Amino acid sequence: MSESGPPKEPPGRGADVVWSIIGTLVAGVLAWGGIGWLLDQWLNTRFLVAVGIIVGMAGAFYLIMKRYGSG
Amino acid sequence: MRAPTLPLAQREAFHAPGIEIFEWPDIFHLEVAGVDLSINRVVLQMFFVGLLVWGLFFFAFRKPKLVPSGLQNVMETFVDFIRNQIVLEVIGRDGLRFMPYLTTLFVFVLFGNLGGIIPPILFPLNGRMALPAIMAICSLLVFISVGISSQGLAYFKNALFPPGIPWPVYILLTPIEFVSTFIVRPVTLAIRLLANMIAGHLILSVFFVATGYMLTSMNISAVFGVGALIFSVALIAFELFVAGLQAYVFTILSAVYIAGALEPEH
Repeated sequence: MSESGPPKEPPGRGADVVWSIIGTLVAGVLAWGGIGWLLDQWLNTRFLVAVGIIVGMAGAFYLIMKRYGSG
Repeated sequence: MRAPTLPLAQREAFHAPGIEIFEWPDIFHLEVAGVDLSINRVVLQMFFVGLLVWGLFFFAFRKPKLVPSGLQNVMETFVDFIRNQIVLEVIGRDGLRFMPYLTTLFVFVLFGNLGGIIPPILFPLNGRMALPAIMAICSLLVFISVGISSQGLAYFKNALFPPGIPWPVYILLTPIEFVSTFIVRPVTLAIRLLANMIAGHLILSVFFVATGYMLTSMNISAVFGVGALIFSVALIAFELFVAGLQAYVFTILSAVYIAGALEPEH
């Protein structure tokens, strides 16, 4: 993607990048796992929470790669 | 079983302190409209730390001198640290207007944590969820307000729809971004501090109670008690380190969140 200006990454940002990645992973599982769980309650099924967790994890990985990947 | 030869050998078996050491009875019971506003030891400690932080800053900078000495010197160390190591490093010059919030946050968290190793207090204020939770919510409200005031409602668009992604993927990513920014951030901020303080206080309590138990046991355990005593003292030094580190982490992450709200992600 086109980016405006040079990348400015202040020093000493290592720790918060790690926390942000962990946070994104947790959030992916929580968000889509939660959506799956709600759908399970609604449709009276049991497998959607598992599907949601996997989808959320995949989404979180995608987001992390987009944001912190070398690309 | 060893035959009891001394009266001391008949005393109670060792009981390790558990999570109940975080429960304090009410000193003054107060309930307003069904909301429990009772004062217990932890609340008194909170008032004390709040007053202490206020007093330290007030008296340090009441008549500031160009060449600082005494208390002003000490408090300027905190201010300098927050300014140079956190604000300028993470947010840049634009962040200097958040100095009051971040400095107060750091010093209050630090002094709350230090209560865990300073006699006769010996209780970490942030070992109860109330304070970390409230401070995390404060940081959440601060960075949301900063986002709205610097970007307008586009802040939410920028926060929830990361650029450079084909639009159908937003269905997948926007819930994740919402949870990660507005829920996981404050929750982890609070839990990180709380869990560190609970763990530290539990370890210290178990070690000191066990050390006392062994040293007074009048059998071979007393020898090990000496080693445990030395280790306990080392643990105090470790807790001192954790108290400072967690105050620093809480503050720097708040600063990172503010920095993220100031300008849209690239």
